[in-house]
Amino acid sequence: MNLKAFFVASLQTALDLAIATPDDILKHVTPDVLAEYLPKPLWARLFTACLGAPKVDAQLVVETIGVPNLCEHVPAQLIWACIADIGNRSLGKKVDDEPIVLRPMALTTPPPPPQPSGSRSKPLTAPPPDVIERPANLPFATSKLGPSIPAPVTTPAGTGTQSLADIVAELEAEGSARDERATTPPPSRVRTPTQQRFRQSQTNPGGVGRLAQQSNTRRPQAAIPSATPARTARRGETEVEEAEAETSAARGEDWRSSIAVEDEQLVDWQASEETVTTADDLETRKR
Amino acid sequence: MMESGLENQIFQPSDVLAHATPDVLANHLPPDLLSKVLQASLAAGSMTPERVLETVTPELLARHLPHEVLWACIAAAAARAGVTNTVVS
Repeated sequence: MNLKAFFVASLQTALDLAIATPDDILKHVTPDVLAEYLPKPLWARLFTACLGAPKVDAQLVVETIGVPNLCEHVPAQLIWACIADIGNRSLGKKVDDEPIVLRPMALTTPPPPPQPSGSRSKPLTAPPPDVIERPANLPFATSKLGPSIPAPVTTPAGTGTQSLADIVAELEAEGSARDERATTPPPSRVRTPTQQRFRQSQTNPGGVGRLAQQSNTRRPQAAIPSATPARTARRGETEVEEAEAETSAARGEDWRSSIAVEDEQLVDWQASEETVTTADDLETRKR
Repeated sequence: MMESGLENQIFQPSDVLAHATPDVLANHLPPDLLSKVLQASLAAGSMTPERVLETVTPELLARHLPHEVLWACIAAAAARAGVTNTVVS
């Protein structure tokens, strides 16, 4: 149903046949209505026409705005009121002289139904969420002890925790995985000094602590040169020397007489920041 | 300034409406003022700049229209009066 097209055709035909006059339209489509519903460009066009015209009347207003624009923007009730007045007058019926007034929507809205006297009104705010009670003591098995220490896992029988052999096996697997990561050349020359220092000086892939001494799977060590040429102490070479010195001490050889070390090559372990970091790392590892 | 310029005939109502064009009026005046202007024009049978400014007083112009528009009107009048070298269109 194209109501606006019907209104346009009806009003335009009535105006063309002199059945209606522009005053009939402006009876209901008052300047207030135009001010409320007409878009600004049409108002500008209307002002321009009125300022340039010698006479301003309803015909000028209707012709300037145009019947299609009136039917497009003015509420349909008002357009229908115009058409109804024209039709009733043509049929000799009584026409109300007063224009119809559109009431605001708020006044036509029916009031809300009264609430039953026995029921309470609904609060405006949402009720608070239910209190989630946490158990006072969490089970030990579900809590995480630390960032790097896995939680105790029950045995398949469910009677105890992991045995020491299982833990050692896990640590061995972890150590071998780290060795593989360390031997793989990094994409760049930047490396993490803590990781390599920890592996070279303290970690044995064959075991941890006491178990490491029982293991005979030490990595092959390079032979100690009879005389090490004095070179400038660089970070990587210093670490290699430390590993070799430890190896020589384990063999019980008199390495002090075979390696010439200058004072510049010695590392101040207490003042070294990396050494402190290594100690912290070990402490974390122990925990 | 607008009221004083009109009273002292520094500029005329037509000069005001040369800057406060129908487009400016339609876009900045509130609907009730638009309705009053049209009602007054329909009642009088014509819409003249004087009649528009009778409804849209200089105070209402200053309240609703952009001040740049009003200042352009004042500056153009000053240019016409020869008190400034700047020619404002």
